[in-house]
Amino acid sequence: MFALCDANSMYASCEKVFDPSIRNKPVVVLTNNDGCICAACGIAKRMGVGKKFVPYFQVKKELEAAGVVIRSSNYELYADLSQRMMDTCARFAPDINVYSIDECFLNYGKEATAPQEGWDNLASTIRKTVWREVRLPICVGIGPTPTLAKVANHAAKNVSGFTGVAVLDNEDTRKHVLKQLAVTDVWGIGMRLGAKLNALGIHTAWELANRDPSQIRKAFSIIVENTVRELNGEVRHCWETVRVAKKEIYSTRSFGNRVTDYDELRAALAGHAETVSVKLRKQKSVTGSMTLFATNSPHDNGGYVRRSFFHRFTVPTNDTRNILNVIDSAMSQLFQSGVYYYKCGVGLMDLHEQGLFQYDLFNSSNDNPRLMACMDNINSRYGRSTVQMAAKGFEQRFSMKRAFLSPQYTTQWRDIPKIKC
Amino acid sequence: MLKFIPIKASAGIVGFESPATEYTQLSLDLDQLLIDHPSATYIGIAQGESMKGDGIFSGDLLIVDRAQDIKDQDVVVANLNGVFVCKKIDKKQRCLLSSSKRFPPYFLREGDDFQIEGVVTRSIRLHRPFKKAI
Repeated sequence: MFALCDANSMYASCEKVFDPSIRNKPVVVLTNNDGCICAACGIAKRMGVGKKFVPYFQVKKELEAAGVVIRSSNYELYADLSQRMMDTCARFAPDINVYSIDECFLNYGKEATAPQEGWDNLASTIRKTVWREVRLPICVGIGPTPTLAKVANHAAKNVSGFTGVAVLDNEDTRKHVLKQLAVTDVWGIGMRLGAKLNALGIHTAWELANRDPSQIRKAFSIIVENTVRELNGEVRHCWETVRVAKKEIYSTRSFGNRVTDYDELRAALAGHAETVSVKLRKQKSVTGSMTLFATNSPHDNGGYVRRSFFHRFTVPTNDTRNILNVIDSAMSQLFQSGVYYYKCGVGLMDLHEQGLFQYDLFNSSNDNPRLMACMDNINSRYGRSTVQMAAKGFEQRFSMKRAFLSPQYTTQWRDIPKIKC
Repeated sequence: MLKFIPIKASAGIVGFESPATEYTQLSLDLDQLLIDHPSATYIGIAQGESMKGDGIFSGDLLIVDRAQDIKDQDVVVANLNGVFVCKKIDKKQRCLLSSSKRFPPYFLREGDDFQIEGVVTRSIRLHRPFKKAI
């Protein structure tokens, strides 16, 4: 059996942990640079405000009128509380797989027998413990496969009759829940795939589960076939593949203040290049190509400017220096004086597993893995950018705008909560 | 959380590495001593005079553990109508007690927003102010 623990409106819930004055109020969290809405608490959702990805300036007045509490993304706080949530969940299973900042899978083994207190009670205990010890509301779904655990979690949140906990351990419940679940809400079925399935008359998870797996494989892929089998209780996700290495790595961000200066744009790109390089090495991949872009805002009067540059590496690399070197050739294409740059970013595509790549006979790699490993070790031990590439610059004038930032209650001494005596 | 790592930054780039490096160990770790449940513990700062009788003075650091069972007369941190307060809990009379005579007990009323946030397991007095600005 597998359990999926998932925090409800993670970012908005985190904001309430150390600020009891907003626990009963609608809370909405904004993305980087306070651009768009990225999370809304249950109270805000029930009021019908805080739709995801809506630009903040468009709904500012409406939110104000509704008395909504606005917060900038406080990643330092969310990362710390996420760690606490995962540590707490990990106590309840022999094996844990952290899937994202707000969800983790617990693995009880394929043929696990129910614990003494029963699966339902175990799920409730996990939920109550995380609430009590971390003050985050979570939902727990338990099922015989990772896909069904996801389904159960979805049911725990959305299907009436379940209150934060759902267990799919018998045929009746499985059928009941799958019939109410849209096929697009099944793990791994996106909107595009969902549209194709709809065209074949498959609208619910139950209808997908009842298709012949081998035909689904022919029509789509082995991945969709695996989903069908998992919906029927056959474990196909190998524990390692639940966390697949990312196929693309991006680092993009809008500027707090517009950038009009060549050197500043170059330094910002260098910062992104460094970020993606570190991520690339962390997942033990090399990259074959890279894209860079810079844009102003689509809302600008002078018209939208979006410039990008693509580079293919002769030899795939994960050395920060090689990745940084691309920036200079890109700059002449990206930079135009007079443009008020709003956003820039770097993406790595065409990723391969390190070591498995077939190298070119005539071009040898100039990567220096030992130097990179040394840099990564120092930075993981003494903090980000303890050693860094000089190209990034040492004064980040383009740092984020976070006008509604809450204190970093758990990671900065000056921000620890005040307690009235 | 509070961690002292008494190891100097040594990337091994220049000079001769001390042969004792291999034997360097972390010295005594206050976290280990003071914190029973790391993922359920947070640190706050006391403000006010009402808990002096229990040895909690304004400016003290409070170590608050959410995983502890709450016993009668425990010193706790609670959310009382949107404010974190530190009081002694009297379970039988459903009230919050101060330990200074100047502050009367607070009896919980219908409509109060009240949750216990955790038990104050330790408090730390700063007999000298911090050297570094925090």
